[in-house]
Amino acid sequence: MSGLPSILHIATRSLLAEQLGVEVTGHNIANVNTAGYSRQRVNFVTAGAVPSSWGPLGTGVKVQGIEQAFDPFITARLNEKNSLLSDYQTRSSALEQVAAYFNETQEGGLNDLLSQFFAAWHDLADNPSGAGERQALLSRSLTLCDAFNSRADQLVRERLVLLQEIGPTVEEINGHAARIAQLTQEIVETEANGRTANDLRDQRQLEISQLSQLIGVRTYTTGDGNLSITLANGRPLVQGVLSWTLTTQLNSSDTVDLVWQGPGGTTEIIPTSSLTGGKLTALLQTRDEVIPKYQQELDQLARDLIVAVNRQHTQGVGLDLFSQTTGTYQVNDPNAPLGNAGLPLGDQIIHGSLTINLDRDGAPLASGTIVIDPSLSLNDLVQSINTHAVLGGYLTASVENNSLKISANSPSDTFGFSGDDSQALLALGLNTFFTGDKAYTLDVNAWVLDNPELVAAGQFDATGAHTVGDNRNALALAEMEEAPVGPDGLTFAEAYQRLVMSLGLEAQEAEDQESFFQGLVDQLTQMRDAVSGVSLDEEMTNLVKFQRAYQAAARLVTVADELYQTLLALKK
Amino acid sequence: MRVTMPTIFNSIQSNLQNLAEDLQGLNASIASGRKYQSISDSPVDVGAILGLTKEGNQTVQYERNLETAKGWLSVTESSLQTITEIVRASMALANQMATGTYNAAQRQAAAQQIQGYLEEVMQVGNTQFRGQHIMAGYRTDAPPFVAEDWQVQSPVMHLQPGSTGAAVAGGVYTGTASRTFLVEVVSGGGAGLGTYRFSVDGGQSWTDPAVIPAGPVSLGDGVEVTFGGTWVAGDRFSISVYQPIEYQGDSHNFEIALGADSRLAVNEVGCVAVGGDQGDHDLFQMLAQLKSSLEANDPAEVGISLEKLRSYETHITAILAGLGASLERVAMKENVYGTLKEELTRQISDRADTDLVAAVNLLKTKETAYQASLLSSSKVMGMSLMDYL
Repeated sequence: MSGLPSILHIATRSLLAEQLGVEVTGHNIANVNTAGYSRQRVNFVTAGAVPSSWGPLGTGVKVQGIEQAFDPFITARLNEKNSLLSDYQTRSSALEQVAAYFNETQEGGLNDLLSQFFAAWHDLADNPSGAGERQALLSRSLTLCDAFNSRADQLVRERLVLLQEIGPTVEEINGHAARIAQLTQEIVETEANGRTANDLRDQRQLEISQLSQLIGVRTYTTGDGNLSITLANGRPLVQGVLSWTLTTQLNSSDTVDLVWQGPGGTTEIIPTSSLTGGKLTALLQTRDEVIPKYQQELDQLARDLIVAVNRQHTQGVGLDLFSQTTGTYQVNDPNAPLGNAGLPLGDQIIHGSLTINLDRDGAPLASGTIVIDPSLSLNDLVQSINTHAVLGGYLTASVENNSLKISANSPSDTFGFSGDDSQALLALGLNTFFTGDKAYTLDVNAWVLDNPELVAAGQFDATGAHTVGDNRNALALAEMEEAPVGPDGLTFAEAYQRLVMSLGLEAQEAEDQESFFQGLVDQLTQMRDAVSGVSLDEEMTNLVKFQRAYQAAARLVTVADELYQTLLALKK
Repeated sequence: MRVTMPTIFNSIQSNLQNLAEDLQGLNASIASGRKYQSISDSPVDVGAILGLTKEGNQTVQYERNLETAKGWLSVTESSLQTITEIVRASMALANQMATGTYNAAQRQAAAQQIQGYLEEVMQVGNTQFRGQHIMAGYRTDAPPFVAEDWQVQSPVMHLQPGSTGAAVAGGVYTGTASRTFLVEVVSGGGAGLGTYRFSVDGGQSWTDPAVIPAGPVSLGDGVEVTFGGTWVAGDRFSISVYQPIEYQGDSHNFEIALGADSRLAVNEVGCVAVGGDQGDHDLFQMLAQLKSSLEANDPAEVGISLEKLRSYETHITAILAGLGASLERVAMKENVYGTLKEELTRQISDRADTDLVAAVNLLKTKETAYQASLLSSSKVMGMSLMDYL
């Protein structure tokens, strides 16, 4: 068909098409700041030609559809990097928090307190009978214990904070998975007639990108608008229009189990170590792997300190002796062998002996040696003290609250310990300086705290005499600062420095990775925006372009009208 | 590349954010004076700083120990120095008195002088430093040198040739001052035959001669002597009574840590340095014997005491030399720690303190960058095609 009606027809189509162009441009401008929005454009094609005697004759423009400017490959890479970025962001902020508790760049760090603790022993060694030196030692020791306690406490709290974050994060993941499945259903329904549901796809893409920031996932798309999302271990989170959920539970070893709730009630625990990327991964791994590692190192340091200081302290004697004393550690069962009776430091007991020295009215009276073996039970030990040929008459041993209690029978008698090569006193907590067995429980022995004279600066002589000017034990304790402790042969300060350095390095690495992935994400976002982002200037140009085309099409109508008028005027 | 609105605005935001972060870090390091605010800022440097700080703290502590060591050593040295002077004065006196040109009265006076010296030695030996008796070993809470009960000493005999006289001293002294009884046989013979007289002032005045009895003879103040054997006229013996000085401390050396694995004994055990143990170098015994010999007006015995004092002088000089060496060692350590502390302070400062010049320079650079960024950003943000349509 050709002729005047055809011109009007072309004009009409053109008007409608350019109007659509303006509408889509308007949609783009309106969504310039919408997250996840991909710019759209009208796909114009020439309308089908009609045969004419001069050959096929064009019939104007036709709208093929509205297309999205979207690059699935860049988007997939962006999601993956975003996932890792979010992992390192979470990790870095948690580690920064933990590092703050060990911030040795400020005053009053544990490093200084350790130095002060040993310095106090030096001061006591310089003046073994000084009451002031004893008091200073005790108050510095308390400060040191507090520092250990509070750091251990803060690590526990940090794990609690992370645990509180894990629940809502999992809820969020489930929410995103459910919405993705629902959007997929809507997309499939909408696209059944062959049209692309651009805005729904944008929304789903946004959900996927948010999901991947929470947990590392893989996305597989099929051409028909369906997609599957799987976790790192291959278990599906979304399959087409169906979604599955994740739950968490705290297991007996105080770590979090991430449980996949699959179809038909199947459940599977997803190992934390198999996860990569996403906030949840960082939360789980920081809570259950990273922090426990430092807790353990701190506990080991505290334990080494307790063992080393108490081992030496139990060899010594203070200015005063005991009229009675009770161990600070408890056994589970007074009849079980000491090496295996649940004493926190029970593994320290070896075959050997210890000597108990008795004074009457401050002058040496008698002494006796008790043989110790890890196979002895607490009751056996009580028995061997009570039936000892020399000591039995002066001392009474008993089990009190599952601890060893020794008391002198006569009010004028006092006793002290020496030459313990079995480390039984250390394990039972008699004549010790510290109590506890880890960073959180480390404390100064209440016996010593109440009686500073019991700080063992000296040692018994072979004659059973003890003197006020004796500083041998205090010297040995002061020199422990330089002594290697623990399996790696580091000093206390070195072991702590190693802890601080490895924590610092781990936090620094997370920070570095965060900024590395931030750079990658920025770059990929730029690449994505280069394809999908809206440029206002471009849209303005398009607006003018469509407007001009619209004006031209309208002019075509005028021209056609004039042609009609001309034609009709012929008849007059 | 297509540049779109999100690209422009995101990059403006992130660039400004990065610059602001740098500015904040620089500001914090300038304001606090510390290069690092958190251990993750530079874990390796922070670790090194921790090591250096610990060493610094330790050095300060060792310096404090050195002060204590110096105190002990100096007080011990000056005490022993005083004792050496007393010994030299005693020797000079003994040297004079050993010659025959002095009479009994002069020797009596010299004996009083020696008694004064003895008391002074005891006082010096009981010197306290910061409430502790420095010569008592570990028994620092009690004076190491204590006067025992009065003891009647065995007689010092001077027999004539052919005499078989033997004397046994006894009794319980009831007097209040040390003294020496000089006994002389006036006419020879055993008990019931011979006669004796005695003097309490070194032979200046004598009692009337009396026949030697078979049993004990009272010399006064509870002191008794029993004669035995056959005496020859001119036989003499003296019995002195004094309070021996007893050492009450123990023999431990008080040690102080001067560094890792380095200890120094800072005391001198009283029984070794001064005596009180009835041993070879018991100054108290020597002085007591010297005094007795002077009281007995016995130049020969005085000469023997002089020899003993000479050997003691050698002994204490050696001890003083040892103390001097220890003090030398302390001074050397002080020097070493002084230098070490300076070096550690410098290193810690190098690593931990903000280099203000560099930091302020950098701050200026960042500030300029920030301002430039703000300027260019506002220019880019302001540009729009709409202004021209």
